[in-house]
Amino acid sequence: MTHYNANDELLETLIEHQNEMSRRDALKFMAISPVAAATLIGTTTAATEAIASDAKGKIVIVGGGLAGMSTAALFTRKLSNPDITVIEPDPKSVSYQPGQTLVGGGVWDAADIVYNRDDFVPSGVTLIKDKVVTFDPENNKVVTAGGLEVAYDYLIVATGLVLDYAAIKGLDGVITSSSDDNQAVKAKVGKNGVYSIYFADGAADTWKGIQELIAQAKAHKGPEKLQALFTHPSTAIKCGGAPKKIMYLAHARLEEAGVRDKVELTFLPNGNNMFGVKEYHDAILEQFKTRGFKWLYKHNLIGIDTDTKVATFMKHWLEKGEWDPILEEYEMNLRSENVDMKYDFIHITPPMKAPSEVANSPVGSGKGWLPVVKETLQHVKYKNVFGLGDIVAVPMGKTGGSVRKQYKVLVDNVVAAMEGKKELPAAYGGYTVCPLITGLGTVMLAEFDWSNKPTPSFPLDPTQERWIWWMLKTKALKPMTVYGMLSGRA
Amino acid sequence: MIKLSISLLAATALLMFNACSDSSQTKKEEATTYKYNNAQVYENMCVNCHGKQGEGVAELDKNGKPKGPALNKQEIYELKLAITDIKNGGLNQSSGTDHEIMEHNYKAIKKKGMDYDTDSMAEYIYNTFNINK
Ligand SMILES: Cc1cc2nc3c(=O)[nH]c(=O)nc-3n(C[C@H](O)[C@H](O)[C@H](O)COP(=O)(O)OP(=O)(O)OC[C@H]3O[C@@H](n4cnc5c(N)ncnc54)[C@H](O)[C@@H]3O)c2cc1C
Ligand code: HEC
Repeated sequence: MTHYNANDELLETLIEHQNEMSRRDALKFMAISPVAAATLIGTTTAATEAIASDAKGKIVIVGGGLAGMSTAALFTRKLSNPDITVIEPDPKSVSYQPGQTLVGGGVWDAADIVYNRDDFVPSGVTLIKDKVVTFDPENNKVVTAGGLEVAYDYLIVATGLVLDYAAIKGLDGVITSSSDDNQAVKAKVGKNGVYSIYFADGAADTWKGIQELIAQAKAHKGPEKLQALFTHPSTAIKCGGAPKKIMYLAHARLEEAGVRDKVELTFLPNGNNMFGVKEYHDAILEQFKTRGFKWLYKHNLIGIDTDTKVATFMKHWLEKGEWDPILEEYEMNLRSENVDMKYDFIHITPPMKAPSEVANSPVGSGKGWLPVVKETLQHVKYKNVFGLGDIVAVPMGKTGGSVRKQYKVLVDNVVAAMEGKKELPAAYGGYTVCPLITGLGTVMLAEFDWSNKPTPSFPLDPTQERWIWWMLKTKALKPMTVYGMLSGRA
Repeated sequence: MIKLSISLLAATALLMFNACSDSSQTKKEEATTYKYNNAQVYENMCVNCHGKQGEGVAELDKNGKPKGPALNKQEIYELKLAITDIKNGGLNQSSGTDHEIMEHNYKAIKKKGMDYDTDSMAEYIYNTFNINK
C-alpha cells in the first residue's frame, strides 16, 4: 500500500530536520500549530467535497461522541435538506479521550481534553439531551429515558462502549470514559495504588498515582523492588495500545526521577502476544526488553483486594491431551488457576462491553456489539439501521482513527440508500491506527488493517519509535480530531 | 524551523488526505492463493470436529468434552469474526480470544498446508450448512 508520493519532498525535509532541531525550540513553535493545522484541514478536504444530495429522510443518531457528532456534521455537508437528530445525554461527550493517556502520564492537564457537546452540535442539527433506553427497529423508533418517542427513517447507532469495572471482583461501576457519573468506580479506583486512565477523572488521578509511586520509590529501602502491574482484559477494548502506553510513560517518569531500579514493571495481558500484527509484536517485544519490563501472558485480572493490595488473576494455559492422527498434533485442554499478586501500584484496563440498552435490544447481538456488515456498516438485519465507532462488531477497530475512516463510508452508504440506490458504494477496510507512546518524546505509529499487515501512510519504517510521531500525537492529532473530524472535514 | 513545522502540518494534512482518498477501498486479505479450496479443507479437517453438516460433534473425548461445537446456526458475521479471530490470534492487541483450543488447531491445520481465507471460509460454511437461512 503506497499512497504517499504526493509530498515526498516535504516529508524528506521533515525527517532531515528532526535531528537538527532543539526539542524545546520545536515545542515552542508547535504550540501555535493547532490553528494552522485546523486551517490546513479545511483547505485539503474542500477540494474533495462532492455536490450535496437532494435525498430526503429523517436521520436519528444515537450517541453524540466522536463518531456520532462527526457523522452528524458530515451529513449536513452531504445533504441539501438535512433532517438530523442527535440523542446524547453527556454534556462532555466530545471530550478528547485519546488525550487521557497523556493526562495520565503528566504530559497534559485534565482541562486540556475537556470539550463540551453543546459547542460542537453542527448547525441545523437537533440535539436531544437524553439517553435512549428502547430500540424499536420494527416500528422505526427509539424511546428515551424521559419517555420521548423519536421516529426515524434511518437510524445510526454510535453509542460507544462501557467500561465494566464491576466485572472485577472488589470493584464497582459500569461507566463511560467522559461522563462525570463515575462515583461508583472512584470509590476504589484513583487512590491507594489503584489507577485507571480509561475514564477522564481516572486519568488525572493516575498522574497523581505515578508521582506517589515515585515518592515511595525514593523512600524505599531494601533489596525487594516495588511492584507495578499493568493489566489488559479478555474483552475487546478501545485503543488496544493504551494499556501499554501508560506503562511506557510510568517507566519514563520513574527513569526521569532516577528511581527506575527500585520498581519492577510487569504487563499482564489475557492474550498471549503484544500485537496481532507480527511486525509490531516483534517491535514491542524489543522495546519491552530494552526497558527491562516483565510480562506474563494469559493472566486475566478477575479480582482485587484494595485493603491488602492483592490482585487476583485467572492464569490459563493449554495442556497436552491425546494425539490427534488427523491433525497430526496433540489435542489440547484448557486449564486455569487463580494467582494472587501483591502490588504497590496497579494500572487497570477494565473489561469493556456494549451498553446494555443496545446489547439487550433487538439491534444488539449475543455478544452485545451491534452486528453490521463489516464493510458497509449496515446492520445485518435492519437495512435502515447503520452503526459505527466502538459499538460495532467488526474485527480490530475501536479507535478514533477507525472512526475517521468509518464515518465517511457510513455517510456515503446512507446517502446512497436514501437516494434509493440498491448497491451501497463505500466499504470500510479495517484501517486502525495506534500511536503507541513508547516514551516521553517517542511514538511508534502502528497503522494496520484487516490484511493484518502494517499499512503505513508515510514512507518510513513503521516499526521505529520516532520523535516526529510524538509531535503528531501531542500537537496535531487533537486539533485534527476536535476541529477537523467533529466538523466533518477531516 | 518554520520549515519543519510546515512539514509536520503537511504530513498531518497528508494523513488526512489519505483518509479521504482510500476510504472507499476495500482491502481484502493479502492476495494469497491457497492450495485447497474451502470444501476440501472443510472435508479433510473441520469435518472431524464440526460434523458433515456443521452440526458439531457431540461425541466426547477422553476429557469428557464434545469434539467441536456446531457452526450451522451462526450468522455470517459471527462466523467471519470468529474465524478471523482464530487466525489472527485475537482482534485486539493483547486481549487474546475465546478460542484458545481452536487457535491451536488452526496452527496445526496451517502446518498441514490447509490454510484458508477467513471471509470466504465463513461464507462457505454459512452457505453450505446454515439451517436458519
Ligand atoms: C484512554 C484512551 C486512549 C485512547 N487513545 C486513542 C488513540 O491514541 N487513538 C485513537 O484513535 N483512539 C484512541 N482512543 C479511542 C477513541 O477515543 C474511541 O475509539 C472513540 O472515542 C470512539 O468514538 P465513539 O463515538 O464510538 O464512542 P464515544 O466517543 O465514547 O461516544 C459514545 C457516546 O454515546 C453516548 N451514549 C451511550 N449510550 C447511549 C444511549 N443509550 N443513548 C444516547 N447516547 C448514548 C455516550 O454518552 C457517549 O458520549 C482512546 C480511548 C481511551 C479511553
Ligand atoms: C480437532 C478438532 C477441531 C478441528 C479439526 C477444527 N475445529 Fe474448530 N473448534 C474446535 C473446538 C473444540 C472449538 C471450541 C473451542 C474453541 O473455540 O477454542 C472450535 C471452535 C471453532 C469456531 C468457533 C465457534 C464459536 O462458537 O464461536 C469456529 C468458527 C471453528 N472452530 C471453525 C473451524 C474450521 C473452519 C475448521 C477447519 C479449517 C475447524 N474449526 C477445525 C475443534 C476443532
